[in-house]
Amino acid sequence: MYKKRRERSKKGLWAVMAPVKAHIMAAVGLSAIGGTITIIGFALLAYALSIIAGGSIELFGMSFGFNQAFLVLAFVLILSFLIRYYAFVISHYGAFVLEEILRTRITARLAKVPLGYVISTGTGPLKKVLLDDVKNLHAFVADSTPLVGKSIATPVASLIALLIIDYRLALVAVSVLILGAVVMFFVMKDAARHRTNYERSQSDINKAVVEFVQAMPVVRTFDDGTTSFKRYSEALDRFRIHTKAWIAATGLPGRIALIILSPMPTLIAVTLAGIFFVTSGSLAFVELIAVLLISTGMADSLVPIMWLNNFIKISQAAAIRIHEIMDLPELKETSTAQYPKESAVVFDDVSFKYNEKDNYALRNISFTVAQNTTTALVGPSGAGKTTVAKLIPRFWDVTEGSIKIGGIDIREIDAATLMDTVSFVFQDTFLFNDTLANNIKIARGNASDEDMVAAAKAAQIHDFIMTLPNGYETLAGDRGTSLSGGQKQRITIARAILRNTPVIVLDEATAFADPENEEEIIKALSNLMKNKTVIVIAHRLSTIKDVEQIVVLDKGEITEAGNHDELLQKEGVYARLWRNYEKAQNWDLQRKGAVK
Amino acid sequence: MSRTTFTSAYNLHKLVLGLTGELAGTYKKTLGYFVIAFIAQGLAFGMFYPLLKSLFTDNIVLADVFLYLGLMVFFTTLSLAAKWKGHDFDFTGNVIDITHSLRTKLGVSLRSMPLEKLSTYKTGELNSILSSNVDESVILVGAASSIILQLALVPVTIIAVTFFVDLRLAMLMIVLFPLAIPLYYRIRRLNVKQKAEFNRANAELEADFIEYIQGLPVLRAINKTGRDAQKLQESIKYVRSVQKRGLYNVQAPFVLLGILIETVLLIILFMGAFFISANTLALVTLGACIVIVARLTEPLAVFVGVINVFDLIDSAFKRINAVLDIKPLEIHRPVQEPGNFDIAFSNVDFSYHGQDAKVINNVSFSMPNQTMTALVGHSGCGKTTLTRLIMRYADVQKGTIEIGGANIKNMAPDDLMKYISAVFQDVYLFDDTIINNIKMANPEATEKEVEYAAHAAYCHEFISRLPDGYDTKAGDIGGSLSGGEKQRISIARAILKNAPIVILDEPTAALDTESEVAVQNAIDKLVEDKTVIVIAHRLSTISGADNILVIDNGEIVESGKHDELIAGRGKYFNMWSAQQRVKEWHISA
Repeated sequence: MYKKRRERSKKGLWAVMAPVKAHIMAAVGLSAIGGTITIIGFALLAYALSIIAGGSIELFGMSFGFNQAFLVLAFVLILSFLIRYYAFVISHYGAFVLEEILRTRITARLAKVPLGYVISTGTGPLKKVLLDDVKNLHAFVADSTPLVGKSIATPVASLIALLIIDYRLALVAVSVLILGAVVMFFVMKDAARHRTNYERSQSDINKAVVEFVQAMPVVRTFDDGTTSFKRYSEALDRFRIHTKAWIAATGLPGRIALIILSPMPTLIAVTLAGIFFVTSGSLAFVELIAVLLISTGMADSLVPIMWLNNFIKISQAAAIRIHEIMDLPELKETSTAQYPKESAVVFDDVSFKYNEKDNYALRNISFTVAQNTTTALVGPSGAGKTTVAKLIPRFWDVTEGSIKIGGIDIREIDAATLMDTVSFVFQDTFLFNDTLANNIKIARGNASDEDMVAAAKAAQIHDFIMTLPNGYETLAGDRGTSLSGGQKQRITIARAILRNTPVIVLDEATAFADPENEEEIIKALSNLMKNKTVIVIAHRLSTIKDVEQIVVLDKGEITEAGNHDELLQKEGVYARLWRNYEKAQNWDLQRKGAVK
Repeated sequence: MSRTTFTSAYNLHKLVLGLTGELAGTYKKTLGYFVIAFIAQGLAFGMFYPLLKSLFTDNIVLADVFLYLGLMVFFTTLSLAAKWKGHDFDFTGNVIDITHSLRTKLGVSLRSMPLEKLSTYKTGELNSILSSNVDESVILVGAASSIILQLALVPVTIIAVTFFVDLRLAMLMIVLFPLAIPLYYRIRRLNVKQKAEFNRANAELEADFIEYIQGLPVLRAINKTGRDAQKLQESIKYVRSVQKRGLYNVQAPFVLLGILIETVLLIILFMGAFFISANTLALVTLGACIVIVARLTEPLAVFVGVINVFDLIDSAFKRINAVLDIKPLEIHRPVQEPGNFDIAFSNVDFSYHGQDAKVINNVSFSMPNQTMTALVGHSGCGKTTLTRLIMRYADVQKGTIEIGGANIKNMAPDDLMKYISAVFQDVYLFDDTIINNIKMANPEATEKEVEYAAHAAYCHEFISRLPDGYDTKAGDIGGSLSGGEKQRISIARAILKNAPIVILDEPTAALDTESEVAVQNAIDKLVEDKTVIVIAHRLSTISGADNILVIDNGEIVESGKHDELIAGRGKYFNMWSAQQRVKEWHISA
């Protein structure tokens, strides 16, 4: 099974790089040619030595004197430079293209998957994929492809050249190499087994560091340094023990490889054999020089293969994360779009789970919100209030049952129409790095300045904007004026007012995140909700006393529904919540036993 | 342009010596082994001169040939043996000992640096310094110094040997090899420039992508996603164009450095041919010289491959040093101990490091022992700063803060903290058992005392319901504990600590109504008989305080009991009335 996953991940890496296959092939090919040319150059160099004193060498039926041979060598050098240069340029260029393609595809994909995925994954992890993982693939394409070409071509070309020059010395060099390869094989295999142990202790130490750093404020107040520091240093000790064990296990073969891969053993073996053949008269000076120049090429090219392994590992992990995004199912678009004529919202036996494996987050939810009435969702934390709300703008699709607006299943309404029908206020308290005017106007493409100002007035933010030196032309966002949380909220309310959708979904918890603007926000919300069908996730029970319907949720199911008075009489969950609420509101911190 | 390869390598070397601490001797010995290894390697190569010469003469004396081969084997063995010893540094775990002691030192520094300094680091930043930067810098140090020494010593040895064989060839090498240095600096300079531009382009991409993700709900509604998200698309393209521009500039010198040795070989061949035709050089010597110089291809290729690693090591070391260099707050003499737990601020001014604006401006007040003082005001007015200053988050610029007559500057931080418990909005539980999470406040506490604290904090009941009770690991069930339950565990911790001063900073603000009541009950227990400083947004919570300080712009603008402040019809009265009005608001269609 492990093998299978590995297969898939390897395929994944190639699949992700498919758009720049041509670049990769060209870079591998060019650097292979470059590696071969270098070997040919060394051979020519040796032969050029033999004709310094005069004479010529025969190549491909042509005869070269020293001067010609030198020119050929110079030409080979320039050629070698150009080929390596273009191999690098092509592989890097392919990497840039790949970055652009992947980033464009990822951003396009994120626009089509359920919005709930984007929100629940969060900006951080998505940013990591789009920036870091894509960058890792860049490194793989740019730097490792020329390496691959060279590592394949150099040993092959060296071996062929050696066989042509003197097959006996070729055999000597190859046997040293084979010995090296056997040891290398041993090392790499061993490392793979021990690496898991090492990696586990590595990740343990990372956890210990995170804990130690994050807990520092608590540590400072509650700990004289013994408890938390002990935990931290115990993790360090474990890491030290595991890592040393790993090194002890792999150290010896590692050192042996270091010796075998050094060019010196090959050189000495070849020299010793060379002395023997020269004295027996079967090897010429030039041939020995040529062999000494070429024979180490095989061992040299083994080293980069070790680096390559590491590269592939990092890139595979990156490719898998990119695939995870690209493989997300799109939100299904209807082909027979219908348009809701009114705005009553109906949940019809809705059940929902986030993933196939998970437990149901909601079970058999049925309720109706009549047009232009308000329904409040109430319940302890984790009851499913937010989940219910998120299903209405299709942040996720229901697992069973259906949600209808104006009698039409929301899955039969096309995305743009649904967006024109439902606003989820405060899911998007986000301002673009643009002027305040554009931040409000973005809600409706054809809005006039008058419409915009009217919306800002209704959202209680107009007066504030007018106090800014540049008024509506002030830049919002982190690089512009710093607006308080409440001011940003009122700008997004203005946006929602301008958008004027018939259905409003409102999360009250985020509405009062900034306690200082409560009064203005209340006025703004009242204006927004006028003559709308409203679903509100309520926390302050006092605010929903007068709503038409209160739906009480607990553990993903509706336990009761009705208006405030009806529910209080039932003496159920709502009555309990209400009593707790009143108590919490009236908490008056008293120090008992105070000396007055 | 004072930088040369060797000064920056030397600086790095000094940094390394400082950080390797007690293992500096071992590290120096390692360098010694590498020096021996690479000189021996150069000598082994140098043996090709006499070896080939004695092999290709008319009257071969085999004894000579084997003598030189024997010397070559000897130097090779010496070189490999020294390398083997040198790699002890990596392979016997010296490296691990250094990372261990560095992390311990960093941990100590984190424990003792002023909290203000600590807060200038983002959590992620410190994580990467303590975990990856330590590895990056130390683990590669052995390999990096070996690469640098090889690159410097092998050619120097070869040139020295060549001097004895043929002066002109040696001079040729002296002229040609240093060509690598300007090429190297050109690469470095272009790289730095390129990297700066690249980082800027990436930062822009990051900002635009964040905007895209967060704005996605709106962007979807107006159909400006994917390719139509113009700004994002432009930054994606910009990254590509910056990279492309750098490509042609950086790659050419890079590849040139890669074929430097081949070029040198060609020049040696040309000049050698000239000397041979003038009958002043033997062909065998030229042949040997070419074989030897060709050997430099490999170390140079390795060096070119890891040029970026040196930057990595360098910046990792600098970031580690920056943390280690932060000094803890000074403990003034004489060391004082509080007589009781009155807290007194007199004429305190404070501004955060690197900012001119005073966050606290000439504040004086006192909190008598075992009374409750509430801090009230708009966010950013300085309430939280005042509570931080009591905990000596940073030292005040003017005035004094005293606890029971002792200036907090004259108290050791650990002693000061003994007297204070703080409960914040955010709770942190360690990935350890519940009992250890509570006990950390008092490691000597008995099980009974822990249970008593848990009872008092209203968490005994739900803890008993957990699969392993008090021995349940908080990390295993982290997700299933509600915010209120975690907060109550942290209050149990504070109750067990039983410090005479309690600071409460909006401890219930992040909780839902149900949890809030239980946490409120727990806090009522915690504050019994204590000197209490409380920040709460809901004014009804603190209306019973002995003293309410209304803070605005870092100054105390009103103070008194609730009734007095209401009667005063000032700022507090306005805030109170606004809250009453909001309470009355009902949603109605």
